[in-house]
Amino acid sequence: MENPNEHIDFLESGPLAPLKKWSAKWSLWPCHFITSCCGVELAHAFACGYDGERLGTLNLGISRQSNFIIIEGTITRKMARALKFVYGQMPDPKFVNVIGACGERGGIFWNSYNITHPSDIVPVDFFIPGCPVTPESLLRGVRALQDKIMGVDKKTIEFKKVELPFEEKLEERMVPTSPKIYAPTPEIKVDVKRVVDWDFGKELEHTLRKELKGLFESITITGTNTIAIRTTPESLMEVARKLKGQMNFDHVKSVNVIEVPHERKYIVEYMASSYSVEELMPVLITIFTEIGIKNPKIQSLMSVWEGANYSERELHEFFGVWFEGNDWMGKKFLLAPDTPDLPLRKEFKIPEDRYVFEKDVEPEFMVPIEPPKDLYTPIWEEFIEEAYDSDEIVVPIGPHHPGSGHLRVTFRIKGDRIVDALPEPGFVHRSMEKLAENKLYIQNIPLFERLAINDPVNMNLAYVRTVENALGIEVPERAQYLRTILAELSRIEAFYYDAGIFSLFFGHTTGFMYCMAIREMIIEPLMHISGSRCGPSFIVPGGLRRDISDDVLGMIDNITFAIHKRAKKFESIFVTNPVTIARAKGVGVLAKEDAIRCGMVGPFLRASGVNYDVRKVAPYEAYDKLDWEVTTGDDGDCLGRFLGRLEEIRESVKIVKQGVDVVKGIKGPILSEDILGEYKEASSDIKGNFFRVFGNIVLPKGEWTTITEAARGTTLFTINSDGESNVPYRVRVMSPCWMNLKGFMEAVKGERYADFWAVYGSFGYFPPEADR
Amino acid sequence: MIDISGLISTIMNNSVNIPLLYVIYEFLLKIPVLGGIVAFLLDFSILGMPVVKSIIGFVLWKPFFTLIIIPGFATLGTMLLVLPWLERKLVGRMQWRVGPREIEPYTRGSIQLLADTFRFLFQEVIIHKDAHKHYFLQFPFLYFIPVLLPLLFINAGAAGHPLVPIQTDYALQIMIALVSLMPVFIIGAAWAANNRFSFIGAVREAFMYFAYEIPFIIAVLAMIVLYGTSNTAEVISGVNQSSWLNWGIILNPFAALTFFIAMAMATSRLPFDIPEADQEVAFGPFVEYTGIVFGLAYIMAYEKAYVLAAIMTMLFFGGGSGPVIPYLGELSYGIWFVVKTLIILLVLVNLRGVYPRYRIDQALSIGWGAMLTLALFALVWSVVVVVVIGVII
Ligand code: SF4
Repeated sequence: MENPNEHIDFLESGPLAPLKKWSAKWSLWPCHFITSCCGVELAHAFACGYDGERLGTLNLGISRQSNFIIIEGTITRKMARALKFVYGQMPDPKFVNVIGACGERGGIFWNSYNITHPSDIVPVDFFIPGCPVTPESLLRGVRALQDKIMGVDKKTIEFKKVELPFEEKLEERMVPTSPKIYAPTPEIKVDVKRVVDWDFGKELEHTLRKELKGLFESITITGTNTIAIRTTPESLMEVARKLKGQMNFDHVKSVNVIEVPHERKYIVEYMASSYSVEELMPVLITIFTEIGIKNPKIQSLMSVWEGANYSERELHEFFGVWFEGNDWMGKKFLLAPDTPDLPLRKEFKIPEDRYVFEKDVEPEFMVPIEPPKDLYTPIWEEFIEEAYDSDEIVVPIGPHHPGSGHLRVTFRIKGDRIVDALPEPGFVHRSMEKLAENKLYIQNIPLFERLAINDPVNMNLAYVRTVENALGIEVPERAQYLRTILAELSRIEAFYYDAGIFSLFFGHTTGFMYCMAIREMIIEPLMHISGSRCGPSFIVPGGLRRDISDDVLGMIDNITFAIHKRAKKFESIFVTNPVTIARAKGVGVLAKEDAIRCGMVGPFLRASGVNYDVRKVAPYEAYDKLDWEVTTGDDGDCLGRFLGRLEEIRESVKIVKQGVDVVKGIKGPILSEDILGEYKEASSDIKGNFFRVFGNIVLPKGEWTTITEAARGTTLFTINSDGESNVPYRVRVMSPCWMNLKGFMEAVKGERYADFWAVYGSFGYFPPEADR
Repeated sequence: MIDISGLISTIMNNSVNIPLLYVIYEFLLKIPVLGGIVAFLLDFSILGMPVVKSIIGFVLWKPFFTLIIIPGFATLGTMLLVLPWLERKLVGRMQWRVGPREIEPYTRGSIQLLADTFRFLFQEVIIHKDAHKHYFLQFPFLYFIPVLLPLLFINAGAAGHPLVPIQTDYALQIMIALVSLMPVFIIGAAWAANNRFSFIGAVREAFMYFAYEIPFIIAVLAMIVLYGTSNTAEVISGVNQSSWLNWGIILNPFAALTFFIAMAMATSRLPFDIPEADQEVAFGPFVEYTGIVFGLAYIMAYEKAYVLAAIMTMLFFGGGSGPVIPYLGELSYGIWFVVKTLIILLVLVNLRGVYPRYRIDQALSIGWGAMLTLALFALVWSVVVVVVIGVII
């Protein structure tokens, strides 16, 4: 990039310069280049709350018709190529704004192995900080760009270098120790036996022993609702078959690999559960086995549990474990061609987080990252060849497409029918699992919240519950209710986001705007409570960060009424619109068996007729004390999935209302004494004691798994701890969208080309959540 | 030697009669100094030809006035600048937003389109290497032929006072023929772009074309049967359209409905913006167009919409008939015509705020099923109405 201001110079040249500048200023059309979670705030900035169109900035068209890219947060190595491509395709003069901390120096993902710095790839006009940025600041960035075009040089912020008095204040501040694994050879054990009061579990263990006779090495109860079966690589398949065939464990919730380099082994584990037998629904059976680190080969269980397919592909890329029988071995699925190989192995080190700097050690804040050189992310060749042999055409959609988000799907289309669809996720793979291994337990809260910025509280809760589960903390009653209220607000928020995208995919911008307006209203109390629109990080192990006052609760109560009115309008213009019904009814049907086979989760599973909701199956927080219903449908089509979620919104509103009523009457602490220890004064507000209380959490040895019902489905967190370090040894996240990807692709097959967007919208697929 | 006075009198005899001009003229004459200047200017002549007078006369000369001002190019141009802005404002309102504003806050951002046009004009025009270069550039410009020619036959006047550049007995047929020609150019442009999405878009355009064209033609035919003429000058006076009870939409609402739906399909407006669906095929035929060429493609749909809305005004809404505005004389017909056309266009563009998009097969079945049936019924209805009116009168 020789002259980063070439485009401005162009505008200033020639006799028509004033006209050129004026027209460029008022006609900055950003192209649809959604790159990461900040895109949610971009949607808000151009929806009715903030209306970016006021500034003449119309979100229309693709690269060819626009002159402005707003890079929304993280650019992964895979996306960097798309960025370069898109930038190259745009006609001159063109402008680039980068929003979000990730786009500058990586933000929360600064030490990830899969990100790049956009400024290395394209010339950037303005950086807009924030994580996520607020719509106000996004539009402010557009304003700044307009000023720049007109030649007004406005320095909005001047950076000054400050000397931080680290050393003197150290004692007083109690800065936590830097995160790291203490022992060089920690003991990693998946099946730590625990004594729990779980009668059904004992019964189940007995049955398992009988059924699996001779196939297992040990069966251990590792906690309420979790049983671990140790077996050999050879009999893994047989155990899986038996579990599925005889015991009705019909789907797999998680596939995981844990590397233990000092013992020269991998632990491969599958977590199975059941959708068909009611008592087994909350139970998680972990079958695991150990294989040598050299030439790690194991039978793929894809033939038993189809849902394991994509996770196996992913783990193959992360660890190099070869799952025999999975046809994707040796190929890239999630990662870019130039991402470091086998990044999740322990020997692959990423820059460390540090809080205390030694005198002469240069901190590694600015990791220089090589931008990718080639521009080509290949589509699987055999796929294309096969298509050309028959009379089908190949149409790739995304990652830069007005209707794709950050996912590439390649279709083979015959006539107007989709014969086959090849998903290619990973455009927002930000390596959360690796980063989590290098952060304190408490630091991982905001990290995992970035899974789904439009469903933050549930993601937050899912992680915190896992930590609490491991520490054995009981959350005070008031905190339980408050968490329930927040989680439900977040659920409503996420569903309206999905509904908005659904209507946008049908070309119905009005529906999208109405949904964003409703979201705006829900964001309001979240902002009052935590100060952040989309990343509250409000739930901490043991409770909440601080108490919520009665007037904010009153406000939440009012908002539930206000939503109702607006939701009516949304329904009358979009939901009952004959065109919507014509488009969505009977399209993308996922039958009950298919849904179970693919291991679907959440509202999409329920829409196919399976009555499974973690909130009922294994109630947490205050869900069992409130009155609400699980919504299920039978059709399993797009309309069913969509209406099902609207129905769930109604239930959520019900929960919020009840919760607010109840919680007003409950007085008490909002942080559990178990975690506060000696800092009892923090029981209603953690301010000032945060790092003292949470800085050095260490989980007991073993594996801790919790399932939580986030908006889009069951979120599963598995944390492995060595029992002595202040960082997790391994964290496994199975986010709902990742689980749903398989079913999504199944539902698309055989439909018409235009139906892909109906199906996409109905699954509420949110790529940052899926890619992690 | 040209017979100047003869020429002038030809022009004067066939000019738009606007009494207001005389009123202004007389008013100006009464003002002391200015009056003298005006009188001098109007009398000033070279070679015996009063210059200013003949310029005014020429502008008001009907063939010129109708072609260039109303309903011709000037109206079209204003529509193109105003309509997308109005669309964005109105749809914005429906969506609880304000739409473009900051560019000119006092007039609510009314010059937004100007900025967009200039921006497109100064942008690079990219011809990618897979494109068929010549056709790629030519088709958008060629498209102007079928879009602009129908302007020659639009009648903005009322019964007895036609405001139409060319009067012919085949006006409607020629217009339909030209309108039917338009998709060919879109398909050509898409083919020249040589892109997957524009290919899909072209195929969709072709399918849609067949779906709406036949009902569209039958609907117009029904009106021709009803009025007994296809001359746009006479269509207006066909059944004495000066009373709104005799408007085409009252006499044959079925044809009007068919025509309107066909219009939405022909101009690719939601719920039928299937060929250009941006979420699906990313502007289909125009996916590769950049800069001013895309700008042209973008407004071509509006031009087409104007032509179709003008036909609709003539056939179903009594053309320029309406209460006479004092002093404006024949210009008042023109104003009513423009107002009516604008209202139709606004209804058309605001469908975007109300409807999602149909799928191609659904749109086809609407075209070949419901619309065709409706159109045939409209034809039968017309025959019946003609017979009934014939019996009564
Ligand atoms: S993590 Fe997400 S929300 Fe935060 S800056 Fe990056 S893209 Fe934006």
